[in-house]
Amino acid sequence: MTPWPEVRRQVRQILVPGSLAGMIGGIAFGAAMVKLGMLPTVASLVRTDSPVIGFVVHLAIAAIGGSGLTILLRGRWMAGDVVFWGVAYGAFLWFLGPLTLQPLILGRLPTWDVTAAQAAYPSLLGHLIWGATTGFALVAIKARSAPPESSSAAGPPPPTVRLRGVVLRGLVAGLLGFGTIGLLPAGSERMLSPWGAGDAAGLGPLAVALLGATLYAVLHPRSTSTAGAAAVRGAGFGFILWVVGGLTLLPLLRGEGLTWSIMDARTTFPALPGTILFGATTALIYHWLGRLARLFFSDDVGNRSPDAGSWGLRAVGRGAAAGLVGGLLFTLVMVRIGYLPKVADLVGSDSEFVGLVVHFVIAEIIGVSYGVLFRRQAFDQSAAIGWGVSYGFLWWILGPLTLAPVILGTTPAWTVAATSAAFPSLIGHLAYGAGLGLTFHALEARYSPWWITRSDAEAARMAGRRIEAASAGPALWAVLVLVAVLLPVVLSPSP
Amino acid sequence: MDESRRTDAGLGAGAGLVGGLLVAVVLAGQGRLDWTQPLRVDPPIVGWLVFLLLNACGGALYGSVYRFQPGRLAATVGGGLLFGLLWWAGVWLTAIPLITATGPGWSVAEASTMFPLLIASVLTWGVAGLVFHAAGSRIIGDRALTRSVAATGVPIRHRIVIVGGGFGGVATAQRLEQLLSHRPEVAVTLISESNFLLFTPMLAGVASGSLVPRHVAAPLRATCRRTTIRRATGETVDHGGRSVRIRSSLEAAPEAIPYDQLVVAVGAVPAFRGLPDVAGRTFTLKTLADATDLRDHVIGLLDRAENEPAPDVRRRLLTFAVAGGGFAGVELVAELHDLVHDVLVYHPGIERDDLRFILVHSRDRILPELSDRLGAYALELLSRRGIEFALGVRVAGASRYGVSLSDGTFISTGTFVWTAGNEPAPLVHSLVTEGGGRVLATDQNLQVEGFHDIWAVGDCARIPDPDRDGQPCPPTAQHALRQGRQAADNLVAAMDSRPQRPFRFRALGMLVVLGHNTAAAEIRGLRFSGLLAWFLWRGIYLSKLPGFEKKVRVLIDWLLDLVSPRDIVIAGAANSRVATAEAAHDPVA
Repeated sequence: MTPWPEVRRQVRQILVPGSLAGMIGGIAFGAAMVKLGMLPTVASLVRTDSPVIGFVVHLAIAAIGGSGLTILLRGRWMAGDVVFWGVAYGAFLWFLGPLTLQPLILGRLPTWDVTAAQAAYPSLLGHLIWGATTGFALVAIKARSAPPESSSAAGPPPPTVRLRGVVLRGLVAGLLGFGTIGLLPAGSERMLSPWGAGDAAGLGPLAVALLGATLYAVLHPRSTSTAGAAAVRGAGFGFILWVVGGLTLLPLLRGEGLTWSIMDARTTFPALPGTILFGATTALIYHWLGRLARLFFSDDVGNRSPDAGSWGLRAVGRGAAAGLVGGLLFTLVMVRIGYLPKVADLVGSDSEFVGLVVHFVIAEIIGVSYGVLFRRQAFDQSAAIGWGVSYGFLWWILGPLTLAPVILGTTPAWTVAATSAAFPSLIGHLAYGAGLGLTFHALEARYSPWWITRSDAEAARMAGRRIEAASAGPALWAVLVLVAVLLPVVLSPSP
Repeated sequence: MDESRRTDAGLGAGAGLVGGLLVAVVLAGQGRLDWTQPLRVDPPIVGWLVFLLLNACGGALYGSVYRFQPGRLAATVGGGLLFGLLWWAGVWLTAIPLITATGPGWSVAEASTMFPLLIASVLTWGVAGLVFHAAGSRIIGDRALTRSVAATGVPIRHRIVIVGGGFGGVATAQRLEQLLSHRPEVAVTLISESNFLLFTPMLAGVASGSLVPRHVAAPLRATCRRTTIRRATGETVDHGGRSVRIRSSLEAAPEAIPYDQLVVAVGAVPAFRGLPDVAGRTFTLKTLADATDLRDHVIGLLDRAENEPAPDVRRRLLTFAVAGGGFAGVELVAELHDLVHDVLVYHPGIERDDLRFILVHSRDRILPELSDRLGAYALELLSRRGIEFALGVRVAGASRYGVSLSDGTFISTGTFVWTAGNEPAPLVHSLVTEGGGRVLATDQNLQVEGFHDIWAVGDCARIPDPDRDGQPCPPTAQHALRQGRQAADNLVAAMDSRPQRPFRFRALGMLVVLGHNTAAAEIRGLRFSGLLAWFLWRGIYLSKLPGFEKKVRVLIDWLLDLVSPRDIVIAGAANSRVATAEAAHDPVA
């Protein structure tokens, strides 16, 4: 039986912050519920239709949900990743609540079909907003109650950073990321038009983007993981930015109010790929700026991590081999859906053989880039699958949705129709990513298992990295799952 | 599959079953468990059973991949959600449509139809993650920590000691790192006098000043990251006590390093065959210090010779003699010739005719490792450049004034370099005495004869070559590298009671650089010479040089060497050594 002081400690350190953060998130979600008139539905859980009682019930549920999140995390997280955990957890509660438990409580069998998901779409956005806000609140509460380092006790102390430098880096990265998307033909237009570009509020999207980049920087002041992990994290943050900024804050700022309908989602969908790419690019630039800053401006020489040279070359070789395996898996999908002539079109041919060659060249390039960006990142097979699939997903957005149309002289295919057409390729990219990640990890495990340590000092360093990896990775993969799940909901025609 | 993974797979199967049961209730209500109908499987309960069986199998896969990690509930559940997505894409969107011949097309329409199963999959594996973690906490608990790859304090059960940080020793260590990467209970220790692996094919380049010394050496701690490096001299082997006696410095007390398996890769040292005074009066070319000393000495002599009024002394200072017409001797005399001529621009008082380069060799032809044709080519080329050859004679002795040869000739020289013979390093003596032979003879598996736990590779060993009727393998770097890897393979095989493999290697070829953008090469029977062979030499050895950074640095050194004269700086510490060397060689001093 757990001793009483331990119970009190757990209540004080886990349940109280969790409930408090959950309620703060609940207020944000509740405010949206007021606007959308959803509170009577919540009140129906206690057999009433009073909005006030609905709000109270909602806050109670939010507090319980917040506690659940902190129990789930048990204090083992890196500050910035709590937001991802919050969003993923919010989505999980949406599956569990409105799609499953709510119909059961109301005496109906959950259908779990697209129609039901589309009907519950406003609730999904609400849960995501709740999760994100709860995550932010937890970061703030933890920052007040304990230094952030306490969450990663193992390993050497992290490099010191200055807030001013972090914010500046975030702003520069955001500006460059925004500019990179703007370089694509009609990229910024596609990304921004649903957000109100071109009208009087045209500066709004840039402001939201910069605000988002700054927020990302503040949440992730230290660039300690690999560039690849940073890009995936940025992609996840881009999705949150789309939900919080594009679907929520900007309409409110423009005085259009909240609709959160599935039709609105379809209208604003073209901004999603662009925002995800913006997030990934910004995070990547932010990561590299951090490395540069550490190289030139930091006195913390002990935290330099020279890992280039022949180690980098070996990573290139392993990435190429892994890309080949992933490419083979993808080929099965390509052949099945007859996609090879489309690939051949990139070099002005319609031959399947040429398509196959181009496909493998692309698979190799992506494999090599994976080796460079993700070397010494995956501790085990689960992480290898996670990072590989995430990278495959990112390349689905970057490849068939963005670069391929641009190479063919058109604009990025970020519309609902074009994304629907490219949906079969998503499955191929996921298979490619899984094969890529697993093979790369197998090669690392075979030839240089860097995670196996032979001294206490090395083990302490590795333990710190392991905590970070275990904290960030699964949250990001969960957000990725969420985006993938969201796609059929948004892309399927409404009844 | 090891036991812990089997446990995880079993727990995962159970968790998958629990998650599957929960969603199966809902799916059955939706009528989605009669999905086996297209396969004409009746009754519908079969659909249930197959669904649950699938989940159990998926759970086993999930458990064996994701493994139980104590205190990582969120990570386990998060991983479960991703697994759910992949499960949906792999099973429901791909495998089942394939089996039922209804797809797959992976279109949005199909995904929409299968959307309930997506929700089901994500929920199933999210819940399965929770159950898996809870069950793991109860059943496995903290035992999982002992299998954690970052765990320390693993008791060492087996100690492998490698003596020698040359090609053979480093190749053994690197291969052992690969083979034993998941066995922290086996400790590998490498004992080396230097803290780097010297790339000996480029040593003559260092002696001639075309390469920076540090650029042809790879740090052992960077090359063998998971091996314990001890910088010391291996003195003797106490086989009875199963330990190697080492000494980290001349002043330090000897230390015994225990071993369970010993790899001897100490290489060779110059052998002077008992010639009077030769050992104390010659330069050798075995170490980086030898090369830098020689280079500094030569540049120092040029400085002195320019202002030397006595013609005979000046002549002696500007005469450079090398003993040994093998690869090392020929490359060195050619490189010294290049060095001296290249820096003459800084010594306007010295004429080209004042210089004399002589190579002494006991046989009738130089480069016996190469074909007659290439040997003759090298001889003719170097003779044309002005290098003299004293062939068919041996060195009979050395004095402060020069070298005397077996035919009675005396060469007055201030620089005499010995490359004419090697013998195994002293540590080998302690083993050959016990083994009853003069050299460290091994069997074809590289195991030292008479010792079941000692292996030998490289120049210090006599390893039979099955392709040459059991003749010893030649003492080359390419052989030492392969012998090191093979010794590691056989050593681990012996530890695990597996069969060993005999060493067998056919040399890829031979390359010798002849200075001034020329070389000679024999690769798989093909002969090359001149500029093409020089490019081959540089390309092949650059690719073999360990470390990307070192490759870039050497490449830059070579490029600069093409367009600028060589550096004649003599660093402070080395300068004092030069003075000592000059005093030893110069009769005027």
